[in-house]
Amino acid sequence: MSALRSPVVRRRVRTETEALAHVLKTHQVDAIVGERDVMLVRLRQVEAELEQSRDELRALAGRLQVQRDHERAAIAREIHDEMGQALTSLQFGLSWMAQALPVTQPVQTKIRALSALVTTTIRSVKRIAVELRPGVLDELGLVKTLQSEVRAFQGHTGIRCAFKTNLSKAACSPAASLAIFRIAQAALTNVARHARASRAGMTLITRGPDVVLTVTDNGRGLVRKTIGNGDALGIVGMRERAMALDGTLTLSGPGVTGTTVTVRLPLSRVLTSST
Amino acid sequence: MSRTTHVFRLFVAGREHNSALARTNLAQLCEKHLKGRHRIDIVDVLKNTAIALEFRVLVTPTLMLVRPRPEVTVLGNLNDTREVLAALRLIGGER
Repeated sequence: MSALRSPVVRRRVRTETEALAHVLKTHQVDAIVGERDVMLVRLRQVEAELEQSRDELRALAGRLQVQRDHERAAIAREIHDEMGQALTSLQFGLSWMAQALPVTQPVQTKIRALSALVTTTIRSVKRIAVELRPGVLDELGLVKTLQSEVRAFQGHTGIRCAFKTNLSKAACSPAASLAIFRIAQAALTNVARHARASRAGMTLITRGPDVVLTVTDNGRGLVRKTIGNGDALGIVGMRERAMALDGTLTLSGPGVTGTTVTVRLPLSRVLTSST
Repeated sequence: MSRTTHVFRLFVAGREHNSALARTNLAQLCEKHLKGRHRIDIVDVLKNTAIALEFRVLVTPTLMLVRPRPEVTVLGNLNDTREVLAALRLIGGER
C-alpha cells in the first residue's frame, strides 16, 4: 500500500493512465484484454457478421420481390391472353346465337343476360391483369400511370387527390417505375382503407440527388400501434421495395393529423436501368 | 553505441488495423536503429489471451521492451516514431 502512495509509483500510474487514455482517444486500440475475453475485436467481428447477414437478407428480399413481379407479370399475361381470348369468343358466340335464333322472348332475354355477364367478366379480367402487372407502365411510363392511378383512386373512393411531378415521363427505369408505382398504389390503398380522409395528394419530384415520392392525406393519422405493426399496412413491402433501390421510406409520426409517406430513392438508381 | 541486443514483446490482436501498423512500425524502427541487435516476440492476444493477462496487458497493440532493463511499455500503433524512440531510450536527452 505504501509503495502505491510513493511519488514514483503514483507518477508511473498516472503516466500509464494518460497513455491509455491517449491511445483510446486517438483510436489506436484494436482490442481490450479483459479477465474473460478480448473485447472490441470480438465486438467488431460480431457487428460485421450481423451486417453481412442483414445485407444477405436485404438481397434475398430484393430477389424475392423481383421474382414475385415476374410471376405476377406471367400470370397477368396468361389471364389476359387465355381468359380474355376465351371470353371474347364466348361473347361473339352469344351474339351469333342471338342473331341465329328466332326472336322468341325467353331465349333472347337469357342470351342478353349472359352477354352482359360476359362483358362484366371481361372487364374484371382486364382489371385483375392490370393490377397484377400494370402494362400501362411500359406503354405510358411512370408519370402517366400514376396520374391514371390517382384518377382511378378519386373515382373509387370519392377522396379528392392531386398529383404533382417535375419528372419527365420517360425518365425512370422499368424496375424503379414498378417499385414507385407499387409503393404509391399501396399508400393510396392505405388512405382508402384506414385514413378516413377527405383529401389526399401525391408528389413525385427530384430533390437534390434523390427522387422523392410523397403520399399525404388529411385523415386521422397513424397511431403508434399501427406504426409498430407495419406489416398490416403493407409498410414492410413498401420499405423492401425502397431498400432494393438503396432508398428509404419514412412515415409521419403518431399523433399528427393526416399521414405522409415519404420515399426517397437515389436518382442514379431511378434513372438508370436497375434490377 | 551499445551492442546490447534489444528484446521486444509486441502484443497484437490478429491482423487488426493498429496491430498491423505496430508490427510494421516496430520492424522499420528496429531496421533503422537496431539493425542486427534486436529480437521481436509477437503475441497474438486472440490466440494467447492468457499470456496477455499474465503480463497485465490491457490493450493491443502494446509493446514491451524486455531487455535491456528497465522494462518499458508503450501503447498504441507506434506511429509517433520520435515518442517511441524516446520511450525506448533509443534517442537521448538532446531532443
